Amino acid sequence: MNLKKTVSLKTILTALLISFMSILLLGVIMHTAYTDTSLGYDLLKINTELTQSANAVTSVVTYFRGLDTLGEVTILFLSIFGIGIGIERSDRMKTVLTHDNTLLKIGAQVLFPLIVLFGLYIIVHGHLSPGGGFQGGVIIASAFLLMFLSYGDSYDLDHKVLSLFEALSGAGFVFVGILAVFTGGLFLGNTLPLGVMGKLFSSGILPIIYIFVGLKVAAEITVLVEYFLRTQDARDA
Amino acid sequence: MTGLLILVIFISLVLMAFLVVSSGDLASSVIYFMAFGLGSTVLYFLFSAPDVALTEAVIGAGISAVVFLVALLQTQTKEEV
Repeated sequence: MNLKKTVSLKTILTALLISFMSILLLGVIMHTAYTDTSLGYDLLKINTELTQSANAVTSVVTYFRGLDTLGEVTILFLSIFGIGIGIERSDRMKTVLTHDNTLLKIGAQVLFPLIVLFGLYIIVHGHLSPGGGFQGGVIIASAFLLMFLSYGDSYDLDHKVLSLFEALSGAGFVFVGILAVFTGGLFLGNTLPLGVMGKLFSSGILPIIYIFVGLKVAAEITVLVEYFLRTQDARDA
Repeated sequence: MTGLLILVIFISLVLMAFLVVSSGDLASSVIYFMAFGLGSTVLYFLFSAPDVALTEAVIGAGISAVVFLVALLQTQTKEEV
């Protein structure tokens, strides 16, 4: 068994060619003119009067393409559902630690609320600063990942609470959309006052939708991480 | 100055991608992949896409690390040639 591979001249030439082409691509990207006929320009023009959101990406994700986000969240739910069916769970959680580490446990306990708080901040300020529901949700899930890795089996996660969060936020998303239909607008249209750009309570239903998306993503990714860490070992089976 | 920084990151990204596939040790492959993710995070940020940068930082460092490390824990870390 040869562990050290010999790198052939062809591979080196391919790598050089790829790097040369990516530098060329970089040049093309950096010299592409920003024209006023592009779709992005049109969206930026109507963004301020329609949503009053300081982050134009958020207004695209939750307002102009709100239905796509609903579909995305559904796809994520279905994939977690499929993983839950497909993976054989074992009682023992995988860990990289060979023995209990008290320092790591205390450190994780200190960091856990801070990471969750940061994730909530990213979610709530989705319409003001970069980030939003997906990013903040995954940050919250990574806090749970830290606890899983440092505590292992002794960290008990209440799946009922997680399912409740997941189901309620998913239903809340659809409920907000249907509420707009009943008040005489389009599905997922804006029914709340827009407020002033830059304030926390502004841009109508955008932050509400992002909070629902964030909670849903956080619950789903946490369950995903737990499923992956609890997979049955292939060597034991 | 930014152009030079982007160039350096671009070249290091190609290098990292090359190391990911060429290194025989799978554990170091995962580490190289994470370095690749870090480089692309900085690149997204320099191309003024902070939303994508944030997503890449969280997904690349957090979730894909778990997926790869769990796969590594199930198998052996050396690649059979």
